[in-house]
Amino acid sequence: MRRVLPAACLTICLMAALALAAQELQLPATVNAGSGFAIATSGSGSATFYLVGPSYTAKRQVQLGQEIQVRPPEVRSAGRYLAILRSGGASRSGSFYVSAAKPASLSFLAHPSRIPVGQRGGVVGVAFLFDNWHNLVRRPEDVEFRLSTKNAPAAAQSVRTRDGAAWILMNSGTKAGNAQFVAALDGIEEARVIQQVASDPCHLQIRAERSPRGILVQTAPVRDCSGNPVSDGTVVTFTANSPAGLSTVDVPVKKDIAQVELKIPGPATISVASGVVMGNEVKVGGQQ
Amino acid sequence: MKLAVLLVLATIALLILGFALPVHQATTPGIVSGEALPGVGASANTPEAAVRSLLGDVQARDWNRAYSVLANNNNVPKEAFIRDVGGNYGSLRTFSSLEGSRTRVLNENGDQALVRADMHWSTAVGPIYDVKQLKVVQQGGNWKVEWPLEKQPTVPPQVVPVNYLRWDVISRGPEDDWGTQNVDSPRVRIVSMNAVQHGSTLVIVGEVVNEDTVPAFVDINAILIGKNDQNLDQESSFDKIQHTLLPKQVTPYRIDFPGFNLSQVKNVRMDAKAMLVPASADPVIAVLDQHEQNNVLGRKVLSGNLLNESGRVVNIAQVLATYYDSNGKVIWVSDGYVDRALLPQTPEPFAVDMPDSTVGKVQSYRVTVNHYMRQQS
Amino acid sequence: MRHALVLALLFVFSASCLAADGPRVQFDISHIGPRQMEEVTGRNIPRDWGRAWQTLAVAFAQNRPDLLGHYFTGFAQQKLTAGIAAQEKSGVRTRYVDHGHKLEAFFYSPDGGALELHDTADLEIQVLDGNNLVHSERVTLRYIGLMTPAADHWEVRVLESVPSF
Repeated sequence: MRRVLPAACLTICLMAALALAAQELQLPATVNAGSGFAIATSGSGSATFYLVGPSYTAKRQVQLGQEIQVRPPEVRSAGRYLAILRSGGASRSGSFYVSAAKPASLSFLAHPSRIPVGQRGGVVGVAFLFDNWHNLVRRPEDVEFRLSTKNAPAAAQSVRTRDGAAWILMNSGTKAGNAQFVAALDGIEEARVIQQVASDPCHLQIRAERSPRGILVQTAPVRDCSGNPVSDGTVVTFTANSPAGLSTVDVPVKKDIAQVELKIPGPATISVASGVVMGNEVKVGGQQ
Repeated sequence: MKLAVLLVLATIALLILGFALPVHQATTPGIVSGEALPGVGASANTPEAAVRSLLGDVQARDWNRAYSVLANNNNVPKEAFIRDVGGNYGSLRTFSSLEGSRTRVLNENGDQALVRADMHWSTAVGPIYDVKQLKVVQQGGNWKVEWPLEKQPTVPPQVVPVNYLRWDVISRGPEDDWGTQNVDSPRVRIVSMNAVQHGSTLVIVGEVVNEDTVPAFVDINAILIGKNDQNLDQESSFDKIQHTLLPKQVTPYRIDFPGFNLSQVKNVRMDAKAMLVPASADPVIAVLDQHEQNNVLGRKVLSGNLLNESGRVVNIAQVLATYYDSNGKVIWVSDGYVDRALLPQTPEPFAVDMPDSTVGKVQSYRVTVNHYMRQQS
Repeated sequence: MRHALVLALLFVFSASCLAADGPRVQFDISHIGPRQMEEVTGRNIPRDWGRAWQTLAVAFAQNRPDLLGHYFTGFAQQKLTAGIAAQEKSGVRTRYVDHGHKLEAFFYSPDGGALELHDTADLEIQVLDGNNLVHSERVTLRYIGLMTPAADHWEVRVLESVPSF
């Protein structure tokens, strides 16, 4: 009896331990996306294996005692996976995580598409890193942002990603024209075009002179304070104050200049404005 | 069977009532009570009756009959009369109908008289009021109207080069990847806002500028916030704004809140919405000879001439007038539609109301023009 | 007639369930940057996140990938759609019982066009093979989400479960 009791206790304990161990499958904590691995099983007979992931669900018959192969295409999406082994009404399960593989693409958001020159921190770039299977790469990586225009040195800065995202604010240049805005990492590159446009007109100047049909008014080349010509189509408002009353006309700039012939026979004071910027005034005498 | 008998009895009863009880005819718009329908055999035995008869024909769009009773139809070509009254070139008048009129004899002297006709036209954009002083003469026992034809200038044949800028827009498509760049909406800014009480209507007026280098389709919304931070009402500028703004162009706006008072309002939340749209810098419309004056009814108006500097007809023009006080603050915005088309290179007069509340406060004003052209190339 | 009435009531009830505001979502913006969150956005994000989860649960329960389109877009929609297709093919379904979320916004892009979130979700997950319950668990899971604005609501563009933040 004294020999039997300890043996019996040991057997019961071992069986309990085995039973306990049988509840959990032995799985890696994390695997890289697209990397297959094997799950060891024990026992004998057939069982049903379930693999449930974010974008994958499978069920297949397996043999206990043999390894269950989890194939690379089954674990492409990052996230939590459940592995369940069912046999004779009992289940064993476990979970593991799939994390992103190495970066393969960048989603690059660049704003705005148009920006006036000389804006501090006006250009915004945000980059998100993804692997080949569109999983967010959470590991810190260095993304280089570059803003370059023709005839001007490029401005570049490297930013470390955090949870797959990196962002930057950059200054727009002083010269109008298209700027290339690039986000790059290890041979992966995404480019955007930022149109740098002239700022508000500066030093708006007009000259006016009598013509056979009235008064011909013309602006000097309309430029911003950095010397960039304003975009064609920018509206310039000419106002003429004469004894007959006030006359106004909105004229778009064409090839840097706006001009109009006002049909005013008498003397007039001509002024000019564009947006909220005012220009000079010119007095013109009456027709002879 | 019972129903049939009931119906017959009811019909008989109604017939008896119809003969027995007097009927008061409702006023037919445009027709003074007690007169027979004009244009249907009524004789123009007084100057006022003659004018009402003519207006009745205009209301019925019976141009042949209207023309036949003119005193000066020897001097006024029929096509010109029809154009003058019925409109042409796709103008606002062509989409209008004479809703009603009031007439008043200003003076009568032997076989001549002067009759004022206040006409109320119903148009696609709301009512338009027109006042004409019509000379009426007696001919062969009948009074006839001398129609004051406004001679429409002919535009001489010419080539008008149009090389103003035009913008087209290509946006990103639905198939494009997230992150593919799109063209941004235009940047617009409300540069001023002023809340004024106009009778029982709370009115928000101000100006907005397109700060961008591309054209913008702009609309302004306002929300009235009450004393308890609740939303009282929300309105938009509707047509009291120049919707398409070219780069650096400034437009006034006006938002009306009927039935609201300034004392109810704690705050006004403004929102300017701008959309990128295709646009053309043509036509350029000059606003000439703007000046304040009193119209024939004694009301203060801002009037002047519009000059279409392009080579195409502007079918419908809307004038927006912004009034500023001595501090440069916008104190009112009024608008009016011109019911004639703007022919190329041809001045067309306009006049917009100046409300009594602004008289004496207006230091300066600015007029802008909205336009609609049937054929946009 | 009685059957029709019962069906109609069921439809209205299920429609209202789907239309309701979804599971409870606690939203924390105390660590947000670089852009500060607007008041309206601060109300809409937890609402739309909750609705997205509600949609996900119904879509997986009923094998209805068409339901995903309103609150999911991009990679998230593609993966969830593939997940439902795989479910249908294998006959194995996943049922989510949502007991609420603690949502933290930590990255809001300067232009307001993208928002990254950490979500701690209290979920009950059941795996069914046909009508047989194969697995059931109640777990607290961590998710990284990326939301982007649509016309009048926010959509989930990336949704990934992660072992830790």
